[in-house]
Order: sequence, then C-alpha cells, then structure tokens
Amino acid sequence: MSSVAGLQRIAPVPTSSDFIDIVLNATMRKTPTVIHKNFKISRIRNFYMRKVKFTQDTFDEKLGKIISEFPVLDNLHPFLSSLLNVLYDKNHYKLALGQINTARHLISQVSKDYNRLLKFGDSLYRCKQLKKAALGRMATIMRRQKDPLAYLEQVRQHISRLPAIDPNTRTLLICGYPNVGKSSFVNKITRADVDVQPYAFTTKSLFVGHMDYKYLRWQVIDTPGVLDHPLEEMNTIEMQSITALAHLRSAVLYFMDLSEQCGYTIEAQCKLFHSIKPLFTNKPTILVINKIDIVRLADLSPENRAFVDTILSDKSVIVVEASTYSEEGVMDVRNVACDALLAHRVEQKLKGNRIELVANKIHVAVPQKRDDLERKPFIPDTVKHKVKYDKEDPNRRRLQRDEEQEMELSGMGIYSADTKKDYILADDSWKYDKIPEFLNGKNIADFIDPDIAEKLDALEREEEALEAQGFYESDESEMLDSDEEEFRDAAAQIEKKKASIKKISQEKNHLQNRPIIPRKKKHVTLSEFTTGMRKSGHDPLVLEKRAARLMEKKKEAWEAAEARDAAAEAAVEGDMDVDMDEGVVEDSSRPSKGKPIRTKSGMAVSRAPRSNRQMAGLATIGQSDKANELRDFAQRLPNRLAKASESDRHVPITRPKWMLAGKRKGGKTDRR
Amino acid sequence: MAVRTQFENSTDIGVFSKLTNAYCLTALASSTNFYSVFESELADVIPIVHTTIGGTRIVGRLTAGNRHGLLVPSTTTDQELQHLRNSLPPSVAIQRIEERLSALGNVIACNDYVALVHPDIDRETEEIIADTLKVEVFRQTVASNVLVGSYCALSNQGGLVHPKTSRSELDELSSLLQVPLVAGTVNRGSEVIGAGLVVNDWCAFTGLDTTATEISVIEATFRLQGQTSAAVINEMRDSLIDHYA
Repeated sequence: MSSVAGLQRIAPVPTSSDFIDIVLNATMRKTPTVIHKNFKISRIRNFYMRKVKFTQDTFDEKLGKIISEFPVLDNLHPFLSSLLNVLYDKNHYKLALGQINTARHLISQVSKDYNRLLKFGDSLYRCKQLKKAALGRMATIMRRQKDPLAYLEQVRQHISRLPAIDPNTRTLLICGYPNVGKSSFVNKITRADVDVQPYAFTTKSLFVGHMDYKYLRWQVIDTPGVLDHPLEEMNTIEMQSITALAHLRSAVLYFMDLSEQCGYTIEAQCKLFHSIKPLFTNKPTILVINKIDIVRLADLSPENRAFVDTILSDKSVIVVEASTYSEEGVMDVRNVACDALLAHRVEQKLKGNRIELVANKIHVAVPQKRDDLERKPFIPDTVKHKVKYDKEDPNRRRLQRDEEQEMELSGMGIYSADTKKDYILADDSWKYDKIPEFLNGKNIADFIDPDIAEKLDALEREEEALEAQGFYESDESEMLDSDEEEFRDAAAQIEKKKASIKKISQEKNHLQNRPIIPRKKKHVTLSEFTTGMRKSGHDPLVLEKRAARLMEKKKEAWEAAEARDAAAEAAVEGDMDVDMDEGVVEDSSRPSKGKPIRTKSGMAVSRAPRSNRQMAGLATIGQSDKANELRDFAQRLPNRLAKASESDRHVPITRPKWMLAGKRKGGKTDRR
Repeated sequence: MAVRTQFENSTDIGVFSKLTNAYCLTALASSTNFYSVFESELADVIPIVHTTIGGTRIVGRLTAGNRHGLLVPSTTTDQELQHLRNSLPPSVAIQRIEERLSALGNVIACNDYVALVHPDIDRETEEIIADTLKVEVFRQTVASNVLVGSYCALSNQGGLVHPKTSRSELDELSSLLQVPLVAGTVNRGSEVIGAGLVVNDWCAFTGLDTTATEISVIEATFRLQGQTSAAVINEMRDSLIDHYA
C-alpha cells in the first residue's frame, strides 16, 4: 500500500557504518571460510576471488535497490515532483542519488581490479592481503557516502509520512492568510483532525481530509497560510501551499477574515488574493468570508468594502459567508464549492472523447409499449407494515445467527441449521417424518406421485372393462399356435442353413491355411481308387490286376534285399563298434527276414541304425582321426583372460621407489 | 432497500442465493450469517430456504425462477427436490429440466412476466420455461454475451445490465422486457451483475464491495425507495460522469 499516491514504499536506508557491517557480515556468512595453505593455488585464488566478487555483488544489489526505490522526480506527477522539490530540494536529492550511483560504480571497479590482481596471487598470504585490500577499499568508498545515506534516510522517513494526496481526484483546496480559520473549516467538514491554535503557522505542511457528497468521495486539502511577498522570499512552508495551488486541478477556497483577528488587514488579505490569483486560472474559485459571527460582509466600512469589491469584480469568483465557530454557513460553503467543482469537471469531461464510453451509463432506457398488458410489481402487503430490523432493538426478531452465537458461546456444541422447521405441509407433525431414500432397492422418489391412487383406480377400471368385453378370452389360441409353430419351423430351418453355410465357409478358410498335397502325390489305396472308379461307372479290373502284379514284384525285390542284409550282418557281427551296443544287444532278437517286425503284444521293435553316421563319408581311420582333431580344435574353450599362457602373469609395483624415496612432503606428488 | 452482504468472504452473493417475489434460496454454509442477512429483511414475508442443488452451493447460478415457479437443473437430487417442494408454497411450481446448459441461473434472466434466455437453449426447455414461469421467452444476448442471466438483474420495476451495453441495445431490451433499464456495475466495477446482485420488487442484496454510487444507481433503477428511476439518474448524472469518465 503506497503511503502517497504515486509513491511506493521505500525500504529503510542504513547508515554507512551499518551498511558496511551488513555487507561484510553477509560475505562472512555466505562464502566458504575454510582455506589451507597446502591447497592448490588455483583453489586459494578462487576462494579469495569469490569473496571479493561476493562483497561487490552485495554492495551493488543494496545500492541498486536504494537507487531504484527512490522516486525519479521527473517521472512523477508535477504536483508530487514540485512538492518533493520544495521539501527536499531537487538538486540535493539528485546529487545524493548520484553519489550513491557513483559509489556503486567505484566499488565494481575496485572489485574488477582486485580480481585481476588475484589471478596472479602466488600464495595464500598474498591472496589474503589482496582480498583484505579490496574489501578495505570498498568499505572506504562506502564510508565516504555517510552524508548522502543519512540524507536519503531522512527523505525516506519524511516521504512515508506525507499525506496520501491523489492529484487527479476531486479536490477542495483551502488557502489564505495564516490564522483565518482554514484548519477549523477542514475539521468541520471532514473527519481529519488538524491541529488548531490561535497563532500563525500552526499548520506547517499539507493535510488531507475526506468527505462524501453526492455519492462521491472528495478530498479536502488544508494548506499552510501564505504571506503576501514575492515567490523567491517564500519559505518552505508557504511554498507547499503554492505548489498545491499551482499543480492540483481543484476548487480553490480562499479564506478571508473580515474581523482582522488574524492580525492581517482586509487590505492585505485582498492584496494576497490578487497576487496569487494567477494560480486560480481554470479553477472554480470561492471566496469564503469566515468568522461572520464577529463581522459580516454587510457590516464593513466603505473603504474596506471597496477592497473586497476588487475581488468580487471578477464574476467567476463566488462569495460565501460562514463561521466555523457558530457553524453557520459551513455546509453551504462545502456544497457551493463541491457543486462548482463538479460542474467544472463534468464540463471538462464532456469536451473529451471519453464521454462516449459512459454515455450508456447515464441513460435510462424507458420501454416503449408493445401491448396493452399491464405488468405490475408484486409486493406482498406484509412488506409494507413490516418493522425494519434493528440490531439495537431489544424486541428484535431472533435470527438463526443469534441462536448459533448463543450455542457457540455456551459451548453446547456445533450449531446445525434446522432446514425442516419451515416446511409448508398439510400437517405440521409430518415435518420430521423419516422417509428412506431407497426401499427394497427402489428409489422412493420414482414412485412419489400425488395422483397415484387415482391412476391405479383408472387402470383397474380399464382392466375390468376389457375383461367384460371378453378381450382376454382365448378361442383363437390354437390358430395362433399353429401359426406360431410354422413360424418356429421356418426359423429353425433358417438357423440350420445358416450354420451349414458358416461351417463350409470356415472349412474353406481352414484349408487355405494348410499345406495342400497335390492330388498326384497323394497316397491313394487301391481299394479307394477302385471304389471311386466303380462309383463313376468304370471297370477297374485291369487296374486291379496290374496292381497285384506290381505288388508281387515289389515284394520279391524287398525279400531279396532282406536276405542280403541278413547275410552281411551275420558276417560283420563280431567286430561291431561299442557305440552300437544297444543295437548289438537287440541284434539277437532281431526279426528274421520275412517275419513281421512286431512283438507279440503288437509293439514295434526298435531297430539299430544300420550304419555309423559319424563314419559316413570317411574312407579311412586316418581321415576320421583328422576329422576328430579338427572338431576338437573348433570346439575348444575360448581364452577369456586374454593371457598368452599360464605363465603370462603381472605383478604391479606396490611401493614405487620414486614416490617413497627423497625429500618430498605430503601433497606434492600424485601417483597416477 | 439495498443491503450489502457477503458469502464466506466472497462478494459474489448472486452465486449463492436466489431471490424472487415469492421465495428466497440460500446456500448451506458453515455459519448462518449469510442466511440471517436475508432472514432479517425477509422473514415472515416470504420463505427463505437453505438448500443445495446437486450437492453444490452455487444455487443462484444453477436455478432460475420467479413468483410462479422454480426451475432446477437435471443434477438436482430427488431429496433436494423434495426439500424444495416441502419448503416452497404450493403456488410455486417446481420443475426439473433436462438441459445441456445446466447452469440455468446463467442462461435465464427473468422477472414475473418476461424472460431472456441463452440463444442456444433447447426448444423444449424454452416451452417449459414459458409454461412453468408463466413468462414470455426471448432468445437474446446482453452486450454480446450469451450468458444473459450472469450479466443482468431484473425485477418487475427495473433492470440493471452489463456496463458495456450500448444505448440502442438498452432501448431494445427495455422494450422487450417492458421495464426501465440501466447499464451499471456492482462490487466496485464488476460487470457480472447477476453474481453481485439479487433483487426483487421491494429489496435488493449486493456484494460487500459495492460502492455508494453503485448502491444509489441500484436503488434508483429498481425503485427500492419508491422513486422513479429516470429522475434519480438524471439527478446523479454529474456524479456518474465524474465517477466513470
């Protein structure tokens, strides 16, 4: 929240010694603190460079904050800018901020220089001395900013206490000689509490009060008294009044004391009006004749009246009489001033183009009649004689809030509003009836119907009528049955047909995904073949005969081969290889030629292979040995450790002499 | 009579309450402060009902209604419907509406005779509105906003609409509604009139942030002090120009 319109809150400015303490403390706290002379030199250098840089950064940040927080006079509203100029002297203010800015640059320069030097620091001691020198120089620079900092702190405190004057809002500006009753007037029309004393210059600065008039908020500014002398001779207190008069768009209330109790003659007061009159151009001006409980305008002597008439000759000046003592006419003054200012402001705004934007807001759209229907408001009669609720009334209505508060205060527990209390039901005893939400898995609400009994009656009546008409008698039932049966039959047939179509289609797909043996290669038994031929009306007799003949031939050839084999086996039996042992054992029970190769139980008898596959293709034992040798070589285990041989063994040096002998100290040499 | 109030630190009281000439709905809150503000003004005149709609507290935005009826969205539970039926007088018809635009308070603005509705509302809903609330229904926008319920507040004596409504649009709407209309704001410049203000023919409740000027405009527009709106607005003309421009 800004204390003054247009001015933001400014953080306190520390004194120069505090400033140095703050920054050095921060450096201590926020940078590493442990360093050892045996550390690597680059590490030592970095350690100190970091400290120097950090100190400079902190100074930079804090000074930058001061510079950015203080308002730039040229960017402010002219009123604020010249008020600050009057109060703090623009040149002094700018100079102070300028000095702070220079200090900031100097500090960054120092930091840059010393960081450069630190790069060449060749020992811990030297680096440390460089850092010390850098920080020392920065501190010296800051120490020289003692005065600007003290000044800025004072300015800050003063700014924070300035009244919150909004230069753009509706303002009544009260001015006049000292002691003419300006502050008393402000106290009368606003809630401001300005000090009123019977001596000149009681009010030494601007004061602001606020009031409401015509739905709007008005700002009333009480200014210190002004004496009639040239601008150059005016003091700071008077200049504040002049600044306000010069820069604020407001109504000016010039106060006059005709009783001359203030210590200034009527002539002097009129002269002052004329000398500051140039400041009133383009502002509604009201001449307020104060203290009419003592002297009224009508009571004036002709020569004094002539002085006042010089002011009144200007038709734009409105004259109003008032007495802040007897409070006569005070509200008139306020109303006249406010009306004049409002009219002036509205006139100004109507000239601008922004008025277009608000045109619709000051327009009441009145309806055009579109039919003869009368649409009256509906206000119950009870409203008209309802007593307005009053919090102070002892007989006031007891609200739920009262009940809640009572319950809370008595500690009786948590209040829960009774929502069923005001139910409008036929019987009040029904209010708290418990109705289940669900009953037997059915939502009760689905069955709530005020006319349910009636509807049930209607249904029953309809049913009876139907029965009476004989609607339910079943003479056509058989016909219906036969029809139904027919229908079902048709359905079943359709089902069946559908299923068969489906099956065919599936089988087609099934075949597509299988290897299909061509018909020529398919094994067809003779009987299948002949039956097929017979079916299609051919005589297969010739074929059968040929087949029998061929069969006979094949059988003979096979029997001959068996007999040859048996003879050969009998010859070799003695020098059979061992790996054929199963075959050898079985050999004795081997079926002789012509016998079926089945046991009595019908199981197939295992037969040993007739040749050793490992020897296949190898003519001599030499060749087979060679093959074995090659195989073993190809299948040897890989050499996973990549050693030449078992003797390939490396023992590293555990205690190298070059490291352990000679005059070396710890930390000098790395063993890589 | 306009009363400033707030609902649990929110000044958008039109979200949490619904006021008509025959009843008032308020949201169930953790304390009864909000309810009691209505109670102190309306007790013994019309029923004030604590309720939720579809388990939410934004009753003002979900419901639309006038003296003749109350429309609730499809999200309203059977229990809530029963509670409302028990609490409201029999002369008020309650109707649950199956409508895609379920925030009925935002899409319907009505008094006892005329209703403005969102242009995209269902044809069936439009018929239900006309039958239940006994109003003429117009599909309209307010300052090119489709949410007519959010951007205006109506009574049988006047209406306050979105501040950016142009003069011609004001005249057109006024002729449709057959009440005097004023463009204005509530809650220190808020343009969502429906959220900041609930009003009937004899009293109004506004958000706590509403300024004195806004209150004066509201009281003049809705004739809450028995004056005619045109005269008062003209009297306030200078203040309004200085305030807004």
